[in-house]
Amino acid sequence: MRLAPGLFAKSPEAVLVGLSRSGNREAFAELVLRRQTWIRNLMRRCSGNAALADDLSQQVFMQAWRTIRQLQDADRFGPWLKRMAINIWLQHQRRNDPLRGADEHLDTNPAREDTAGIAMDLDRALATLQPDVRLCIVLSYHERMTHAEIAASTSLPPGTVKSHIRRGTKRLQDELAAYVEPAEEVT
Amino acid sequence: MSTDRDPNLMALFAQAEQEFDEDTFISGVMNQINRERRKTVLVWSVLGVFITACFAALAVPVLSAVSMASQLLPLSLVEVETDLLRQLVSPINSVAAVVAILALGIWKFFRKIFR
Repeated sequence: MRLAPGLFAKSPEAVLVGLSRSGNREAFAELVLRRQTWIRNLMRRCSGNAALADDLSQQVFMQAWRTIRQLQDADRFGPWLKRMAINIWLQHQRRNDPLRGADEHLDTNPAREDTAGIAMDLDRALATLQPDVRLCIVLSYHERMTHAEIAASTSLPPGTVKSHIRRGTKRLQDELAAYVEPAEEVT
Repeated sequence: MSTDRDPNLMALFAQAEQEFDEDTFISGVMNQINRERRKTVLVWSVLGVFITACFAALAVPVLSAVSMASQLLPLSLVEVETDLLRQLVSPINSVAAVVAILALGIWKFFRKIFR
């Protein structure tokens, strides 16, 4: 399906959500256009695998299309979509529990000084973390969620979230020492 | 609540944000939505045809059952000679009344068991 260029380009998101609720696919395509970079980046940080990240992101938008009528407040589309993305990632992790990490084969190209190089190095460093630690780190640094929000989204106890983030941060600082200057005591 | 974030790592996460080929991705999502929609329409069409076929096939037996029931249900259980008395007891003196009482009893019994 091709989007009619600029048809909904200037429409507020709440309007697009309202139209999507009534089955307007072009309005929904505009929502996908606006949110895809964010969701794909989130999934890429979680999975470290471009193909898997795109596949999961597609699942997020498919589920959003199926359940958008349940979204009461059209202004909460972003948080609602984020929660859906986290749930889809958690479901994926549970399905692949015995093979955790097996589907995450990272590129081993040497680091480059451009965005893709930084992203690859970051994904490689994230891959060294335990899945739960990694998810907490991604939600904290990529999504800038608070501990309470992460605990609510992942069903992990707040204390566990805090220790995961502390441990993950230390590990990332070690792994990414070339990029990250030694941080002062993180509190 | 504290967030315990390292500002250097935060900057690194921000720098690692990538732009992707959006056309292919959006086409993929929308094609999948269209496929799902076609599938839903197909399933409902098949279901509609099946229900219509069932109605057509069962129309005659259902109508005869309804006709039989309409003849059977008003039948009195006990013959009452007096007109006035017959009219007074007619709500409970019929096959329909027995069926209604049985249905009510069964419903209450199931509610008691499954509540």
